[in-house]
Parts: sequence; structure tokens; C-alpha cells
Amino acid sequence: MNRIEIQYFAVLRERAGTGRETVETAAATAAELYDELATRHDFGLPRGMLRVAVNDEFADWSRPLAAGDRVVFIPPVAGG
Amino acid sequence: MQAFSFSSAPLEPGRYHAGIEDPAAGGYASFEGWVRDHNEGRTVERLEYEAFESLAVKEGERIVAEAVAKFGVTRAACVHRVGSLAIGDLAVWVGVSSAHRGEAFAACRYIIDEVKHRVPIWKKEHYTDGDSGWVNCERCAAAAHAHEHAHLHATGDFASHGHEHAAAVQHDYSRQIALPEVGRAGQAKLAAASVLVVGAGGLGVPVLQYLAAAGIGRIGIVDGDVIEASNLHRQPLYGIADVGRPKVAVAAERLHALNSDVRIETHETKATVENVDGLVKNFDLVVECTDNFRAKFLVSDAVVRALKPAVFASVHQYEGQVQVYRPLPHWPCLRCLWPEAPRDGMVGNCAEAGVLGPVPATLGALQAMQVLKRLLGLDAGEAPALVTVDLLSLETRRLIARRNPACDHDQPGEPAGVEGTSAPLELEFATLAEAFESGLELVDIRETWERMHDPPGLQIPTHLPLSALVNGYLQFPTEGRYLIVCAHGVRSLSVTEQLRAQGLAEVFSLKGGLAALRS
Repeated sequence: MNRIEIQYFAVLRERAGTGRETVETAAATAAELYDELATRHDFGLPRGMLRVAVNDEFADWSRPLAAGDRVVFIPPVAGG
Repeated sequence: MQAFSFSSAPLEPGRYHAGIEDPAAGGYASFEGWVRDHNEGRTVERLEYEAFESLAVKEGERIVAEAVAKFGVTRAACVHRVGSLAIGDLAVWVGVSSAHRGEAFAACRYIIDEVKHRVPIWKKEHYTDGDSGWVNCERCAAAAHAHEHAHLHATGDFASHGHEHAAAVQHDYSRQIALPEVGRAGQAKLAAASVLVVGAGGLGVPVLQYLAAAGIGRIGIVDGDVIEASNLHRQPLYGIADVGRPKVAVAAERLHALNSDVRIETHETKATVENVDGLVKNFDLVVECTDNFRAKFLVSDAVVRALKPAVFASVHQYEGQVQVYRPLPHWPCLRCLWPEAPRDGMVGNCAEAGVLGPVPATLGALQAMQVLKRLLGLDAGEAPALVTVDLLSLETRRLIARRNPACDHDQPGEPAGVEGTSAPLELEFATLAEAFESGLELVDIRETWERMHDPPGLQIPTHLPLSALVNGYLQFPTEGRYLIVCAHGVRSLSVTEQLRAQGLAEVFSLKGGLAALRS
């Protein structure tokens, strides 16, 4: 189990009801982590529409996770 | 009588009365402004008015015409005094005749308020202590000329006052030239630069204001919308009296008043596939300030093709994102970051999701800053990134972004299933009644709160709010013939595209949404 710091933006923040949380997870990749959280928080957005950043850098969904990683999920935003 | 005139002789309301009489009028409202004996704690003996008449008459006539059009009154006129006036003298007269009293009072109020605010008239008060002073040139205050005004007043040069005022004031860039990184050379770079601002809304307003104030040589504004009352809380460049006017026209007026050094070009249109390349090629840099993905990707594709730098931003409720694009080999475009171009409606824009004014203002100011950095060359060594800003926690994050080797950069991938469909996606109707008669079932996908102010008799019974569709709480029927309706036709087009892709053949989007029907 890894301890991961997570930050949410926009619609994901609304759905999760929080901007950030820390989770203990067995997810091995960013994709597995999102799928796990999407189930827990009932995220409506498919993963293909989002981007993930790990430790302040955009990453592939296949990126392996390590303890202490900071993961940010970013939906596209259009308002202006 | 003339709609607006000046008089150097005492005003005679009895005489003007005849000028606005009309058999269709059921009444008449009038306002008289009188010279009072005090101002800001000082006793006034008499005063003098001077106007820059050629300009003032034109502006005054425009105001009266606006009042007639806006309130539907029968006739209206305004006469303003110039010259020397004693206490109790009439300074200004406004008269409005109308079928009903409500419109007459409203139009009368509008004319006097706008005249005081917009018409270049100066007032010099003579006090009992022998002193005198120019006061109350509201138009000058609005144009930020107060400093020069005080100077002219000190010279007591009454005769040339108005004309000097209009011609001699220069925009003063000293406070930015004072920065060692800017200097006169930097100011010259800004004056030589041209910037295209796409979208004159919540992001566009601060971008336009700060770029015009900074002395960018030429600014192009692209926006096809008119000002709505619900825009003003986040677009305070506009006022309540501007509602219904094109954003580009009002923005151009205000920016010209702010800094007449800047050449403003207006394009009263949305950015489209047809016009975007032609617009982008005539400018050094593009600032993308719209509220929809369609336009954002259109602009991204165009700047990639034209090898122009661009600054993108978006907001959602309390947060926003900024991204700078530079035409350099390792810099990502919008499609590199979002390979699956998002659809409008999947995530909210300001109209749907709500937003506090300072959020787009902050992000727009950040965009303006990125533009100045680029033009002044202050961004050396900056790596490409998406910057996120959360205005609730006041946290910013710089997420390093890279070019996506799989990205075609300027080649939009059409959503599957839409290509090759011969039926148009959008249908136009003049009224809601016509739409109902089309035989299509109307489906309103606006949120519940957006439907609250619909006029009686113009409600759409079938309601599937987009938020519920996106979250999967409601499902769209898999067969039937539908016309999807939203406020402006952006969300409905997106939903229509998705439904077509899912195999629903006879589904259409109401072009321009309900806003297009009402106009």
C-alpha cells in the first residue's frame, strides 16, 4: 500500500466534495488510482477526457506510483 | 426642436414644452437642474459652464436617441446652459413625452444621468471667498484625465480649456517605463506590437483593459455577442445601459477613452473555421478568452499553423488554468495536452456553472501579464507548463507540460459517427412556436435554475438537465426525433453530436439557442 496525496480540480473537486485528500492505495499506476477513486466518488468523467500530473509534471496514465507521490487530476476547463 | 442643444441665454422650459408635444403622448416628464449655492461644504456665488460643443452635441443627441429607443417614448429633448449662471438659474432641462408615465420618468432619468456622465461639459464654481475651481467634469474623471484637468484649472486658461483638454493630454507610461526591464525600448516594443483578443467576456475584459492601458499599438477584438445583464458582474468594462449592444462596439469605445494611442479593430463575429486564419495572421500574438472548447481548439489550431504565440485561459467556478503556447519545437499546443478534444457541455462554463467575477478577472490579468512578458522578452528560460490557480485556497500549481509526439497539432479529429452524416446538426427557427410545429420533440437540457425565469407559455415540457445526463442520472431515449435546446446553442450542439455518434439520426440542435429566438 502506498500513501498518495491527491488534488482535484473543477468538476472532480465538486464530485469529491474536497479539493485534496490523502489515500492509502494498492493502485500500481495513475490509471488504477483514478479508476479506484472514480468508483468511490462516482466521478462521471471518463479517464480519456482528463489529464493526470504526478509530482508537478504531466504524466501518462501508465505511470507507476510510488509512496509519497503527489497526484493531480485535471479536467479540461472552458469557462471564460 | 433639436434633440440636444446648448443655450447661452437663460433656459425657457415653457417654450421647449411645445417641442415635445404629440397627440400620441399621454403625459410628459421633465427634469430641471438648478444652480445651487453650495458644493462640498463651500458656498458658491455663481458658476460658469463650458462645453466642447461639436463633440458634446453629437454625444447628447446619441443619448436622447438611445433613451427614445430603449424606453419607447414618443419624443425627448435636452437643453444645456453654457456661460455664466447665478444661483437658482436653470442649468439643464430634460423633457420626455410618452404614452405612459413609467417610460417617461425612466427615459428622463436616463438622459440626465448619461448627459452628466458622458457629455464633455465643464463647470467652474466661484466661491464667496473669492476663490474658484473647475469641478464636476464627470466625463474627464471617467477618462482618467483628472490630473491634467487640475493643471489647466490652475493656469486659469478658461478660453482654451475645453480644447486643450481634449487634445493635449498624453497617456503616461512612466510607471512601467521606470522598470529597468521595460524602459523606453520596452515601451517602443509594446507600441509596435499587435495583439488579437478572441472573446470580450470575463477573461477578455481585463486582458483588453490592461493591454490598452499598457500601450499596445494595435488590438483586435473578436466577439459576436451582445452584452447581457448577467455578464456585468464579471465584465465591469460594460454598464447596465450597454445591455443589448455588441460587446466589441462598447469595448472599443471604452478602450479608446482609456488610451487613444491604441488602434482598436473590432470583429463582430465568433471565431469560425472560415475566419480564424485570416484574423490570426494579421497579429503578432493571440489571447484566447472565450468560454468554449470549440473556439479554444480553433484558435490553438490556427496559431500552430500561423506560427504565432498565444495565451490561453479558462475558468471554472473558483479556479482557472493558464497556458502559453510558443511556436517552438518542444512547446505543446492545446491538442498535445488534450488529445481527446473535450466537448462543450461535458464540463461547465461560466453561464452554466456559475462564477465569481474576480476569478476570470484574476486569470485575465494573468493572461495580460503573459502577453507583456512575451512582447518584452521577460520569459526567457520559461518551460512550457499549465498553471492552475485556485482562488479559494490561493494555491497555484505549475504543471510541466511536454509536446505530445503523437499529436497532429492542428488537425482536429472529427468525433466518430458525425463525419459523413448528411443531415445538418443545427436547425434555425424564428420562434419557439415554429420549433414546436416542426414535429420534433423539444428537449430542454438547461439546468433547473436557468428555466426559472422563462416567460409563461414559453416553457419546454421535456427537461433533461445536462448535469444529470453527464453524471448518468438520466438517460437520453435511444429512439425518436428531437430538437435539443439550451440557452445559446453550444451545449445543445455538443449533446446533438454525441447522440448522432450514438446512432440517433434525427436529432438536431436549436441554432443559437433560446437567445437567438428572442432576438
